[in-house]
Amino acid sequence: MIPKQSDWRWLDTRETVTLTELSECCGVSESELDELVGYCALIPLAPANPQPTFSAHWVVPLRHASKLRMDFDLDLFTMAILLGNLNRIEVLERQVHSLQALLPQQLRSGIEVQPTGA
Amino acid sequence: MKYKDYYETLGVPRHAELDQIKKAYRKLARSYHPDVSKAPDAEARFKDAAEAYATLKDAGKRTAYDELGHPKTGAEFAPPPQWQQDFAAPGDSFEDLDLADLLAALGRGQRGSAQAAAPIRGRDFESAVTVSLAEARQGIKVQLSVGDADGERTLEITIPPGVRQDQKLRLRGRGGKGLRGGADGDIYLHITLAPHVVFRPDGLDLYFDLALTPWEAALGADVEVPTLEGTVLLTVPPGTRYGRKLRLRGRGLAEGHSDLYALVHIDVPASLTDPERALLVQLSNISNFNPRTVALKEK
Repeated sequence: MIPKQSDWRWLDTRETVTLTELSECCGVSESELDELVGYCALIPLAPANPQPTFSAHWVVPLRHASKLRMDFDLDLFTMAILLGNLNRIEVLERQVHSLQALLPQQLRSGIEVQPTGA
Repeated sequence: MKYKDYYETLGVPRHAELDQIKKAYRKLARSYHPDVSKAPDAEARFKDAAEAYATLKDAGKRTAYDELGHPKTGAEFAPPPQWQQDFAAPGDSFEDLDLADLLAALGRGQRGSAQAAAPIRGRDFESAVTVSLAEARQGIKVQLSVGDADGERTLEITIPPGVRQDQKLRLRGRGGKGLRGGADGDIYLHITLAPHVVFRPDGLDLYFDLALTPWEAALGADVEVPTLEGTVLLTVPPGTRYGRKLRLRGRGLAEGHSDLYALVHIDVPASLTDPERALLVQLSNISNFNPRTVALKEK
């Protein structure tokens, strides 16, 4: 079975999702998503828009945070903190990848440290 | 149907308060959550604890569960016939359910209000695939096996060209089937790039180490370099210094939209022939180039 092109979507900043769609795919109600926006844990593309849309890059961390919320029976505010930290980890991992790409091969396997002092 | 002692699973007495139950569950979840523990039985133990907690935290389900009495764990039992009438939504049957399914069905049925049950969305599937850098540049078809109540299915997914590390793809409506008019679930595909012996990805760009001799770096040279689509000739300009990035436009992971960078490092022969040594001594004597001075000037 070959899915039509319209069936798949990249979950990154190239795509957007509506509040309803985000709620469906992350298992978080629309009112809870509003609350997460209120905590500044989730940022809509145009905050003033009455029908907010979001970058699709939120889907994966939000699903992860939602699963952890369910697994550990966390409250929504804790989930907001978690979401912030998951995003931070993702940004840091990207930076590590970028730095690794720039690091010459011979240095990647272990940096030689000169002994200091006598 | 086999009985499970949820109180025993969580390690709490049968009269435990909700707070005590929650605390016991969180302690177990912290120990056995698959994100935390790599023990072989961790996932199963976490699922058992989650199943127990899902029942005991809900007053209605806990009362219904307590009505079963206190058989031994693993003992066969039949749910009271009244439950079917009291709890089940139209169309639900308690046959072929295990205890967790049964109590979940009770939750949906809402005791004392035989009502049309709400639609249930199909299950989402998470899957991961590793592709080579060449496949990431060209695009590739991958086979995914997903299993649900209808059995095992194989899906062919086309990953479009120009994929980067850790990219996620959502395939809408390709997951588990929805129930009672609920939407079908989705598939979430996590794409990882396989490590390559030569190239290192950064976003859609690629990097590789280009070793030059001191004279190639100083005089400039045309050198053959690898790309994902074979070797090409790269012109190294005269005076190329260590660490410089030489760009091969459009040869990254997204054809035409990303680049391949050669990261220059300068190598020297491990041993010299006599003529080589003589020439280098001659160069040393006549050259006034001092890289330490250059570095200090740049600070």
